[in-house]
Amino acid sequence: MADITFSAEDEEFFGKVGGFGVPKFDAVMGGGVPRGFLIVAFTQTGSGSELFAKQFTSPAEEPENTILISTNEAQQEIIRVYEKYDWPLDIGVRTVGEEYNASVLERDLLASRYRLEGFQLPDIQRLAQTRFVDTENRDFLTEVTNEVMALDPYFRAVLDSMDFFVQREDPARVISMMRMLQAHTQMVRGLLLVTISADGLPPGMRQEVAGIADMVLEFKVRTIGTDFETSMTVTKFRNAPENLRILVFRVTPEECITPETVERIA
Amino acid sequence: MMPSSVYTRDRCVTGIHGLDEILRGGIPYGSTVLAAGTCGSGKTTLAMEFLVRGALAGEACAHFTATEPSVKLLENIRQYSFFDMNMVDTGLINVFDVDVLYSWLGLDKATFDLDDVHALIKAIVDIVNTIGVTRLVIDSVTTLCYKIKSEQLIRDFLFTLGKKLATLGCTTVLISEITSATENAHWSSFGVEEAIADGIIVMGDVERMGHLLRFLQVVKMRGTAHSRAKHSIELTQLGVMLTPMLKWGAVSDQQSRWGA
Amino acid sequence: MFELDALIAEQLTEVSLNSAVQVRCGNSNSFVVTASTMLPLIQSFGMGGVYISASRGAVEIIQAFESIGVDVSNIQFLDLVSSGILGGTDVPYPNVHFVDSPIMLESVLLRTLYILRTSTFERNFVFVDSINALSIYNDDRMLAEYLHTFINTFRQREVLSVLINVPDQTPPLVLANLDLYCTALIDRGQVVIQ
Repeated sequence: MADITFSAEDEEFFGKVGGFGVPKFDAVMGGGVPRGFLIVAFTQTGSGSELFAKQFTSPAEEPENTILISTNEAQQEIIRVYEKYDWPLDIGVRTVGEEYNASVLERDLLASRYRLEGFQLPDIQRLAQTRFVDTENRDFLTEVTNEVMALDPYFRAVLDSMDFFVQREDPARVISMMRMLQAHTQMVRGLLLVTISADGLPPGMRQEVAGIADMVLEFKVRTIGTDFETSMTVTKFRNAPENLRILVFRVTPEECITPETVERIA
Repeated sequence: MMPSSVYTRDRCVTGIHGLDEILRGGIPYGSTVLAAGTCGSGKTTLAMEFLVRGALAGEACAHFTATEPSVKLLENIRQYSFFDMNMVDTGLINVFDVDVLYSWLGLDKATFDLDDVHALIKAIVDIVNTIGVTRLVIDSVTTLCYKIKSEQLIRDFLFTLGKKLATLGCTTVLISEITSATENAHWSSFGVEEAIADGIIVMGDVERMGHLLRFLQVVKMRGTAHSRAKHSIELTQLGVMLTPMLKWGAVSDQQSRWGA
Repeated sequence: MFELDALIAEQLTEVSLNSAVQVRCGNSNSFVVTASTMLPLIQSFGMGGVYISASRGAVEIIQAFESIGVDVSNIQFLDLVSSGILGGTDVPYPNVHFVDSPIMLESVLLRTLYILRTSTFERNFVFVDSINALSIYNDDRMLAEYLHTFINTFRQREVLSVLINVPDQTPPLVLANLDLYCTALIDRGQVVIQ
């Protein structure tokens, strides 16, 4: 493996830790997240993890070396949120879900049309001239992994969420890819946030993923009376167990996700 | 007294040297013929020549290939002087890759259910109807039927397909891969094809002192009197050539090469 | 100087295209008889044709003809012998075709028909060299049956059949059938004592 050298200038600019994009959270975590960390966020539906994922990219120290890979949302929706909170729009955004829909679902749709309505003459002429099956069975997992691995030192990246791959790929492959991502992140002092739904994730796999991660967050939502309470729990923080805690947060128009700093009395 | 006229069915003249003679004029129009043969017995060449002779007479022809990619098929068939690539370019011979068809119909899966079978029939019939195909080859029906797990469904598939193609006036050759062409063998892989087909042409090898001689035998052809003798077959650049096999040499030495 | 048997040419002038001529010879004069039969066909009658070689490889025959100054490049050779010899089919003559073995009699017939279909000559012959060589490999009954088919096929197509035969090396059944089906006989054979 090639040795990576970091310039003194970069070391000074990026520092030992990077921000979460949530100033109050940085403060609680001793200044931010150490460079080279892979953060895994186990999420619940409606717990605000998608918003947090985007917010995590907002510091964008180097926009060209920052990327948000979303598997569920469309470009337009993402841009709308970034505009709303005035986050930098010049970062890289990739919407795997949209790509998947374009390549796979479109084909399924066409197959249904052929089955229902039959072939027309132009279809038949095209069929007679098509000699090979379009085997462009895209391997999104490899594509995404390669994309992150290609990022330069001190990158900042978010993969929201891993569910897309867990549902479609062999779990062993997903775990293996995560190990590669973790190693790369550590080596080039990047920051990588990966979200993954806690619901339905096999316990063994959850344990493995948590084991690979340098930091584990759990996003939860619960109802209190007629209100929802969202919280994030830091269940793992490599070499800093003092950072483990439960943080209730809310979403404000100015700061987006922000933890409540007032200690509640149970 | 005038002799009473004898009704004869119109024929699809195959144009294959010797075969029309064996069939006393050709295959009755709209028939579904099973061309069953062992590997290397010349099924594909025979079927391709059947199409080319049709194309030369101005008929629209279609070939569904499931056993080898169309690119290879066309490359192999180009060595025959009877074949002209222009026939493909001008749409007289339409070669369809079955795997492409499957992919377009969402049939790229391990097994077919009833809906899938109907989708496949509809697609083939659509193609035949739209282009006005009068000669069709499916190479091979064995490969197609592998994905249909129930014997009943295979029967329905072939029966419905054959009926619809006959209605459209399309003469069809279904190629069937068999492992043995002996007297006791089945002429089809699934046992149902041979019962549904209007005609059966068997192709195989006779072993004579260590050499394999290709033979062709018309076992059944509804709607026509025909020779049932074994014929020796030679694949030449000009196409398939046939001659009656010598009676004293029509049986493999002592026994069939595939055993009793 | 190679001396041809001029009488054979004379006899050949009397046969029509739909004839089948049995040419009997002996072991010692077989090439003289063969050449004396072939030459008038090629040179005097301007015929094309197929030479079926079952006794020797086609190259050997071509070279034998070349050695007496006869050009046989317009004649197609169907070699039934050389496929049985490893490397035997690697020959420098484009007019040589091969059948795997003399026992593949139907293939011989079909290949001959195929070659004739591509012939540019108006009048053609098939020259079988020789019936006694074919009888080494084939069952008597099968060969007899074959001769019937072979001769009639070419007679029907107005292609002259010439069948070389060394009678004392041919089984009686085959010989009897040959005598029966052939329409003419040129006898340059040795005395047969049976």
